[in-house]
Amino acid sequence: MRLSRYRFRVAAVAVCLTALCALAGAVAARVYHGTVLTVLVTGAALAAFAIGFLLRNKPSWLSAAVSFGGLAAYLLVSFVLTDDGAEPFLQTILDALVNAVPRTLTALIPVEPAPDTVGVPVFLTWLAAGLACEFAVRYGRTLLGCLPPTLLYAAGLYLVGPNAGPAVTVTVVYCLIAGAALAVTSAPPSRRPDRDAHVDGGAPGRRATLLGSVVGAAVLLVAVAALAPMATRLVTTSPGDPRELVEPPQLTDIDLNPLVRVPEWAKNPEQELFHAVLDGEATMRLAVLTEYDGVTWQAGGDFRTAGSVLPGSGDGGFSAEVEIIELGGKLVPAVADPATVTDLPIAVNLATRCLLTPDGLATGDRYTVGSDPLVVDPASAVDARVDLSDAVSVAVPPGAPEFMTTIAEYITATYDTPYERAQGLAVFLSEHYAFDSEAPSGHDYPTLGFFLEASVEAGGQRGTSEQFAAAYAILARLVGLPSRVVVGFDVPGGASTVTAAQGLAWPEVAFDGVGWVPFDPMPADGAMPIPPQETLEELEDEPSEEPEESAGAGEAEDYNDPALEDDGGDFDAEAAADAERVPAWLWWALGAFAVVCVPLLLKARRRWRQRRRLRGGTPAERVAGAWSEVLDAAARAGVRIGPHATAEEAAARMASLDAGIEGMPGLVNRAAFAPGSVEEPDAEAAVRIAHGFVRASRARVRGWKRVLT
Amino acid sequence: MDTEQTHPLKVPRAVQQPVTLNAGQAEAFAATFERLAAAVDTVVLGKPEVVRLALTAMFAEGHILLEDVPGTGKTTLARAIASAVSGQWRRIQFTPDLLPSDVSGVTIFNQASGGFEFHPGPVFANIVIADEINRASPKTQSALLEVMEEGRVTVDGQPHPVPAPFVVVATQNPVEMDGTYRLPEAQLDRFLVKLSVGYPVEAAEIEVLRGTHQRSPENIPAVIDTDTVAQMAELAKHVYIAEPLYAYLVQLANASRAHPKVAVGVSPRGLIALTRAAAVFALAQGRTYIIPEDVKALAEPVFAHRIQLAPDAAMHGATGAGIVAEVFESVPVPLPASAA
Repeated sequence: MRLSRYRFRVAAVAVCLTALCALAGAVAARVYHGTVLTVLVTGAALAAFAIGFLLRNKPSWLSAAVSFGGLAAYLLVSFVLTDDGAEPFLQTILDALVNAVPRTLTALIPVEPAPDTVGVPVFLTWLAAGLACEFAVRYGRTLLGCLPPTLLYAAGLYLVGPNAGPAVTVTVVYCLIAGAALAVTSAPPSRRPDRDAHVDGGAPGRRATLLGSVVGAAVLLVAVAALAPMATRLVTTSPGDPRELVEPPQLTDIDLNPLVRVPEWAKNPEQELFHAVLDGEATMRLAVLTEYDGVTWQAGGDFRTAGSVLPGSGDGGFSAEVEIIELGGKLVPAVADPATVTDLPIAVNLATRCLLTPDGLATGDRYTVGSDPLVVDPASAVDARVDLSDAVSVAVPPGAPEFMTTIAEYITATYDTPYERAQGLAVFLSEHYAFDSEAPSGHDYPTLGFFLEASVEAGGQRGTSEQFAAAYAILARLVGLPSRVVVGFDVPGGASTVTAAQGLAWPEVAFDGVGWVPFDPMPADGAMPIPPQETLEELEDEPSEEPEESAGAGEAEDYNDPALEDDGGDFDAEAAADAERVPAWLWWALGAFAVVCVPLLLKARRRWRQRRRLRGGTPAERVAGAWSEVLDAAARAGVRIGPHATAEEAAARMASLDAGIEGMPGLVNRAAFAPGSVEEPDAEAAVRIAHGFVRASRARVRGWKRVLT
Repeated sequence: MDTEQTHPLKVPRAVQQPVTLNAGQAEAFAATFERLAAAVDTVVLGKPEVVRLALTAMFAEGHILLEDVPGTGKTTLARAIASAVSGQWRRIQFTPDLLPSDVSGVTIFNQASGGFEFHPGPVFANIVIADEINRASPKTQSALLEVMEEGRVTVDGQPHPVPAPFVVVATQNPVEMDGTYRLPEAQLDRFLVKLSVGYPVEAAEIEVLRGTHQRSPENIPAVIDTDTVAQMAELAKHVYIAEPLYAYLVQLANASRAHPKVAVGVSPRGLIALTRAAAVFALAQGRTYIIPEDVKALAEPVFAHRIQLAPDAAMHGATGAGIVAEVFESVPVPLPASAA
């Protein structure tokens, strides 16, 4: 009966700890694509624990050796299952072993299951399960056995970072399983009834165990008291992301400011850049430029290494197959919004969702991009307010040409709503300026000032899409519209060779609830431009007829005033967050309540255990239970009995307590070593002795111990 | 009614193993054991523990090595045990010129019969006192190897069994080492216990002085005969040993073998010896089952002389008894299982 009970307990502990390891491993799988990693870590936990469990009665070195072999085999299987076959398998294994840790920590979400990204979770899960089994099953230390999966759980949460929702349910389940394992508990080697058990070294002494328990409980209480206020503040903060520690891929000048490539393309329109096969007509973006410093437009944000599946994307139903011919640089043309990229190492700018390949494009490179085409309905932007959430998109560096300010005032005065102003600005540029592929390159303030103001005879008022897009974006910001410049290509559907003539730049304006809406400031073919001065002079001729100052300005404020934007959204959100934040005093109160409950729980636990020991089981078991009560009472009274002491020796040591247990050692030895020799009266006598001993020894228990026990 | 079956010190022959001893048999064993010990105590004053350990070894069918300084009563104890048992006993005074044939016997040509006849040596007795055993040459010491383990002597290819029971009670002096030969490990392993008599306490020593002329081992009346000794030894083989105790004993042996100060730990023969001795020890106290206290009480006499210390440990003063104590400190005693 004792053996079967032991088996039940150790099996329950094994099941719980295996579940903990699998759960801890699966926490990290939330940021992986698909369910492959979940299956792999669950399998690793099961296999590692099974090996440790089956070899629990063998020497620990044998268990470790077999587990190591199993781990190697399991990792190999994991690599086979996740390998795409692009590289020789041996090279893939070596690459995975060398780069597993940095790639696991830096791969973009969702992480693509590959040999170099599944190795670390599988290895750590296996290690945690193996250690948990050794601690809990071999050495009977269930609490210590919970430590490896808990560390694995914490590592999983760190790996996930802010890239998945709070794991509240998983954490609750984890705690429940851990609690179940601790409630069942295993048995220390000295109490194990399976005689084949082989344990290296002696079991830790009762004193060491108790000391460890007391120190552990004290550290726990201090930690709770010290960290609770900090934890309350952390509850509402976002967890750290290890990927932020990674240095992003470095861009060359040509990639930082691809707008300068537009005039080159205009001068060499026949240059074949790449061959593309698209599901339909689309614009392929090369770069999105959001930051202007008065000299150049540059892309903002960092590029992060990604797998074949890009984070935050859909299913990528729009396919574009590309083969590079003469397009250089690191930026990768793709239809917005890219979701998957195959056959090319890729990094993605999370702000603009533009793509980059760290090694740069080379002739012959082939890749396929699956995109979710951005569908923007300009009609919905007609009455929309502008999106001012990103201050960079409305920042205008000082030193803007006076003429640009004049044009901005004209647009502001002429049009009322943001969309009308954006559209009016595009019309203004398209009607007053001409396209010239030979126009000088540049989009700094002086160049744009020359483009906008200089006379046609002097070479002004004509330019490429570089100047049109750059001028539009700056003018839009002067008007109060958030803007950016996009460089890309117009590509027809089906198979085609994209030449430099299809390369262009265009501006986009952000509308609240709509997104970035592209505008075309380029003049129509064959259109005769109107000198801009004429139009602007018309405005200057009507100064006295502007009673609409209040009306116009008022309406402008309705659409553009950032304060108004804040009033509606952020303030309310902060107020709601304040309301939801749990006050610190409540945490302190909960902590104090927990401290008060500890003695009560300890007393209740001891009562329950005493009842089971003295009233349950056969007479021999009751004698044994009475002896356990005596030993516990002696320990509380300060008499430590080592595990190597016999019953007679223990009784001799307890003689100092003067509690009268003379008959107990004989009963204990009969119960343990002479089966069937203990009868019911013997058990009753043992229980009486135990009760008397507990009462007598209680007088020797120190005050604080008496309270706690 | 069959008288053999009712005799308290006899195991019924018709009953197959395992035999469960009853309390009456255990009490009869304990009474006889105590009577014998009391008889020896009349000569060996103030050493009841040593006397009982020696008798325990005898009933466990083991041999006894008494080691102590001269004049502490080693030979007296050996002779007292021999006298208290009414069997045949011989004493061999081991000297450097003693030959193996002086111990085991010799085959001589008999002119009258015209054939070779075996003349048994002094080893052919129930109790053999090997006095100062370490003064004989290793060759002569080795003459005891076979008979101590197998209970027979082989001379000229002919085996000659010694009478049963057969007990060798050897003595040796650990101080005076000139002209002595240290017993080999194989020989030491054949002694079930190694005991040290030690100096008597003051009161016992005064008592010794008072009655020197009256107390002689030869004056002890025989308390039991050799048949009874054999029956009691057979009875001890049926003492109950609980399963956890087997594991406890093996863990003790493993701990001695894995001890860092030990070159060679306890052998399986040593483990068997401890088990047999513990069984006798339990019966001598009227118990039909062994408890850990029995094992602990006998651990040092049975284990200490079987442990070969590592050279470094021996140089630093480690002893077999100290190692045994450390071994017992490192192995948890099995306890009964409670319901909670």
